[in-house]
Amino acid sequence: MEKLLEVKDLEVSFQTYGGEVQAVRGVSFHLNKGETLAIVGESGSGKSVTSQTIMRLIPTPPGKIKNGQIIFNGEDLVKKTDKEMEQIRGKDIGMIFQDPMTSLNPTMKVGQQIMEVLMKHLKMSKSAAKERAIELLRLVGIPMPEKRVNQYPHEFSGGMRQRAMIAVALASNPKLLIADEPTTALDVTIQAQILELMKDLQKKTGTSIIFITHDLGVVANVADRVAVMYAGKIVEMGTVDEIFYDPRHPYTWGLLASMPSLDSDDKAELAAIPGSPPDLTNPPKGDAFAPRNPYAMKIDFELEPPMFKISDTHYAATWLLHPDAPKVEPPEAVKKRLRKLSSNYPQPVIVKESE
Amino acid sequence: MAEKQKLIEIKNLKQYFNVGKGNVIKAVDGLTFDIYKGETLGLVGESGCGKSTTGRTIIGLYKATEGEVLFNGVNVHAKKSAKELKTLKRKMQMIFQDPYASLNPRMTVADIIAEGIDIHGLAKTKEERMQRVYELLETVGLNKEHANRYPHEFSGGQRQRIGIARALAVEPEFIIADEPISALDVSIQAQVVNLMKKLQREKGLTYLFIAHDLSMVKYISDRIGVMYFGKLVELADAEELYRNPIHPYTKALLSAIPLPDPETERVRKRIVYDPSQHNYKEGEELSLREITPGHFVLCSEAEYKQYKAMYT
Repeated sequence: MEKLLEVKDLEVSFQTYGGEVQAVRGVSFHLNKGETLAIVGESGSGKSVTSQTIMRLIPTPPGKIKNGQIIFNGEDLVKKTDKEMEQIRGKDIGMIFQDPMTSLNPTMKVGQQIMEVLMKHLKMSKSAAKERAIELLRLVGIPMPEKRVNQYPHEFSGGMRQRAMIAVALASNPKLLIADEPTTALDVTIQAQILELMKDLQKKTGTSIIFITHDLGVVANVADRVAVMYAGKIVEMGTVDEIFYDPRHPYTWGLLASMPSLDSDDKAELAAIPGSPPDLTNPPKGDAFAPRNPYAMKIDFELEPPMFKISDTHYAATWLLHPDAPKVEPPEAVKKRLRKLSSNYPQPVIVKESE
Repeated sequence: MAEKQKLIEIKNLKQYFNVGKGNVIKAVDGLTFDIYKGETLGLVGESGCGKSTTGRTIIGLYKATEGEVLFNGVNVHAKKSAKELKTLKRKMQMIFQDPYASLNPRMTVADIIAEGIDIHGLAKTKEERMQRVYELLETVGLNKEHANRYPHEFSGGQRQRIGIARALAVEPEFIIADEPISALDVSIQAQVVNLMKKLQREKGLTYLFIAHDLSMVKYISDRIGVMYFGKLVELADAEELYRNPIHPYTKALLSAIPLPDPETERVRKRIVYDPSQHNYKEGEELSLREITPGHFVLCSEAEYKQYKAMYT
């Protein structure tokens, strides 16, 4: 499969009064054409910073890309100037933000905001742009687009605004769409509509999507592949089936176990992950998850675990996969979902640095 | 089921807001339900359906437009002497959604928690007051050293714990939790829910749990009420509601929740609710009717017969 985006060993830091916050600490992943990659993690895990860095939206200073490459369409975005980025942002890469209230311009008509993209990036004439804007609004499921195109964002409901946002992001037929918690602020019924819409549009346009969320239900619904982030690193990555039916990292276990399931009558205590995420001004030595990890071994506090490869597509960074590690049982709630996947290697393999 | 003691009785509660130019928003439009002692009643619905307004009206933050709320037989909204009001307020407490906005940033944690203790004169000496604060902090899983800090020094989950400690300080019987976990991370949500359950077991608290996250609501609630446009459309035991939803809106709501299971997600069929599907005739009377024991649905007489035939 053709790779559209490849992020290699990305490190992003912010200078604050309290010291340097290492928000992203060596993240590598790739995205194929036409696929959806979900990035999950708690607040502060670096998922939003990663996506904003791809868009080069990190304010510098205080932010700084300390290391790494972002290869998009064969070009390294890290090396681009602001001027060059303007040609890519909104054209080749579109973005949908969490809060449609604040991400649309309240003083501009919705149609105008879509037309702006069309006229700037696709060099359309004003009248052609307006027609296309109406078409786009219809495409994202807004009724009476001829009327809506002349309205202001405050005349739209939350779900409608998010649809308008998607129309703006899709106006220039981007190759990559980054959706940063696009449905978190919406009700479940509206969320279901927006997710269906995004999947539908992806089928029609073949756009690749990076979908950032903390809702595992949404992940199961939209994703082809999943990356789980914790404390600025990807701790596990795999296809959606691998993550949900054969998770290997204790943090992924914790996330899956802390959700009550709708179909069980189980009223036993939820398996909460104790404690709270680490302070990234001072990332802990060893595995950042170790202090909250009931499965932590001595080595977790000393040495950072390497990436292990469980199948061609499944990676996890935990010492539990080491041949010398003791066998452990995942929590009950996770055990119920485990399945044997045929694509797994007989033994997890350590990934070499160069790979 | 054995006869349970009613703690709260809500009778035809209405809360209208005048938004000017003669427009009235009927945020809560004729609610009638009871909350039993020691249970958790979950209230779910989409934003704008009136679930938060319901909570706020029950506790008396708004003056009800019509109807009444009885707490242990005492009408919350009736005129009362200051002393009566104070005793009543002590029995009912609230936990708010936003742990950032609901704690005064200029007060220390000890003062925030002890505010209720001071107002109600529950501690005779300074030492006793601090002793109570320390106990409460420990109850909610924080420690003594946190007492002299300010809210900004805490994470979202910790702040929500402070909010819970504040509510517990006056030893209430009934707590209204208005989306207490929506602003928290998944891993922290479970911690707070576990804490609330533990406190309920230990202190025999009664909760009204308002939320839009249906899976958490099902987990914590004994019974669940579904609201739609200011009305309760369905009320049943938590298990029953998820297993046999009757009202079409409840079905639509349940079908929209994404589950953390890729295989069921691939074949998910979403049900869309269209209020016109009922085809109610002019003047047809809608009310909550009991279809199976303890399972109430908002329906017309004709629908009642139909549901009755289908589900019993």
